[in-house]
Amino acid sequence: MSASVINRSSHEHAWRHLADLFSVLFSRDLKILYKRSSLGFGWALVTPLLQLFIFSFVFRHALQMHVENYASFVFIGVLVFGWFQGALSLCGGLITGSKSLVNQPGFPLTLLPHVMVSVRMFHLLIALPILFGLLWWQGIRPAWSWISLPGLMAVQYLLIVGLAYPLAALNVIFRDTQHIVAVLLQLIMFVTPVFYSLDQVPPSLHAWFHLNPMVGLIQSWRDVLLHGNWPDALVMGKLLAVGSMLLFVGRRTFVNQSDSFAEEL
Amino acid sequence: MKALVKAEGLGKTFTSQPVTSRRLHLADFAWRTHRCEPLWALRNVSFEVAAGEMMGIVGANGAGKSTLLRLLGGIGKPTVGSLQMHGRIGALLDLGGGFQGDLTGRENSILASVVAGLLKDEAVERLPEIVRFAEMEDFIDAPVRTYSAGMTMRLAFSVAVHTKPEIMLVDEYLAVGDLAFQAKCNTRIAKLREAGCAIVLVSHSMDQIREQCDRALWLRQGMVVACDSAKAVATFYEQEMREGSLRRTPKISSRSTNAGAELLPKENRFGSMEMEIADVILHPGAKIGCGEPLGIEICYECKSALKSPIFSVSITQPDGTVCFDTNTQSARVPITQLDGTGCIRLNIDRLDLAPGAYFVNVGVFDSDWSHAYDFHWHVYQLHVEGGSAHKGILAPPCRWAMDLRERESEVNGKFLVGTTDG
Repeated sequence: MSASVINRSSHEHAWRHLADLFSVLFSRDLKILYKRSSLGFGWALVTPLLQLFIFSFVFRHALQMHVENYASFVFIGVLVFGWFQGALSLCGGLITGSKSLVNQPGFPLTLLPHVMVSVRMFHLLIALPILFGLLWWQGIRPAWSWISLPGLMAVQYLLIVGLAYPLAALNVIFRDTQHIVAVLLQLIMFVTPVFYSLDQVPPSLHAWFHLNPMVGLIQSWRDVLLHGNWPDALVMGKLLAVGSMLLFVGRRTFVNQSDSFAEEL
Repeated sequence: MKALVKAEGLGKTFTSQPVTSRRLHLADFAWRTHRCEPLWALRNVSFEVAAGEMMGIVGANGAGKSTLLRLLGGIGKPTVGSLQMHGRIGALLDLGGGFQGDLTGRENSILASVVAGLLKDEAVERLPEIVRFAEMEDFIDAPVRTYSAGMTMRLAFSVAVHTKPEIMLVDEYLAVGDLAFQAKCNTRIAKLREAGCAIVLVSHSMDQIREQCDRALWLRQGMVVACDSAKAVATFYEQEMREGSLRRTPKISSRSTNAGAELLPKENRFGSMEMEIADVILHPGAKIGCGEPLGIEICYECKSALKSPIFSVSITQPDGTVCFDTNTQSARVPITQLDGTGCIRLNIDRLDLAPGAYFVNVGVFDSDWSHAYDFHWHVYQLHVEGGSAHKGILAPPCRWAMDLRERESEVNGKFLVGTTDG
């Protein structure tokens, strides 16, 4: 009896500690990002606004893109892809840049990708009010389907963390990883309909495009927000399966490798 | 006492290929294959540390001390053997390494406390105590990047010892702060022990091992040479080091010093000769009066660039009794790297030795005292001359005073009887 009570309380303590660790590391990362700039945290809002301005100006006026509600159309793409890109470009340095945490007895390194991906997700969340304002201004009113957005974010979270685990571990023994990832992200951005619509791509290429999980995600976001539709269950189901599998395999690779992190750093 | 740390037959291998070429072997990553011969960084290491016990780990650089400390901290897994750690582990391994320069001392302390295993509430609660111990009340809200290295170390040490560890892993905390703060650290470590914390300390200082540890483990190339009482192991170790210097002394011909004394290898001169003491000049000369200043100038010659060598000077009587001993490490003289030739001078403001014959011994050692580069023993003579005949070693300035309280005080108070001064 008493043993099980102690066991449960120590379990509870472990979870509480994990939550506290998450929160202090989360706020550390945010503070480091903005502490020394004079605009401070305001940059988290100003950056997406400026992006919105640049993209909508360049593509609508300079390149004559004809898509309905182009400003919010492109903004959704920028935000959703921005989370993916921001997180994956940082995951290479996740372990190599945390030498002291790697050498800290008992520190759960598996927490690091979650912290980093959440910090990037937080940037998406604080830009969402701007997006909603923009949608309202363009005459789009909230629909019931909008409540599926957290689900879309959960799927994307799984995908990103699932990729971040093996990439972070790989970069420890193969430091070229982060540079390769940076180049690949550039490429992926152009084959993801961020600034254009999938309709402008020849239909014969659609199957290839859908190999990129970001295509389905961005399309679902646009379906939900611009047209008030529910996301495609089949697409989301596939992405959920891929995300879970990535997370499972990626985390295992990471854990298997993590014993040798300290030696390699 | 219950054993908090229990290691049995621990072994750890590293692949022997250099890391640079191994990086390209992605196969290692995917399939964890090891096609190269393993290199044992630790082999068959067994020991126990009980609650309240302090265990020292000694050994030359590369003997596996840090690897062992890491394994104890759960960083990496032993290749063979079993390791049991009962209790929360605290570490003084990389002091201040996790601090973020842009965050304040307060934010960093809380972060480090939580990372070390406290809940956030506990961390906030203990912060005032941590700050007080580190003597950082005035700076705690300034960014850490504005701190001096000493301040950062003090704060990091304070955080680490206030997280109530049950097992503490320490990698040479000697270098934290000034002497007063070091004394405070020692007291704090002693308190932790009284509270039942098991401590494992890696140190190069045999004095520290003798004073603080109960037992010591001596590693050589990953294997245990001895595991016994701290005093015994420290003495064995020092003896071996001296013999090591003797063994390393190459066959070179004897030469004479500028003062005319003969330098005979393995008799009054020891060391590997990677760096040589070319000359030792005593200022003002080899004869000084009691209480006069003495300057000892050591001219050295490096065969190649050497990283932070330690210069040591001692004054002994002809029978070997040490009267005075100092070195650049304990005096915190920052010597980073030496190359070519140069001179270093020790100025003694006044030497209050009793009149007599002495020797000035000079040496230059490897940065962790593992062997001597060059050590001259009983080569340079020093004569101290003085008026009054003393016995003993010291002749400090002194005076006699007498307090007379003879009958109804005909004469009151103190007055001088005699003065001797160097």
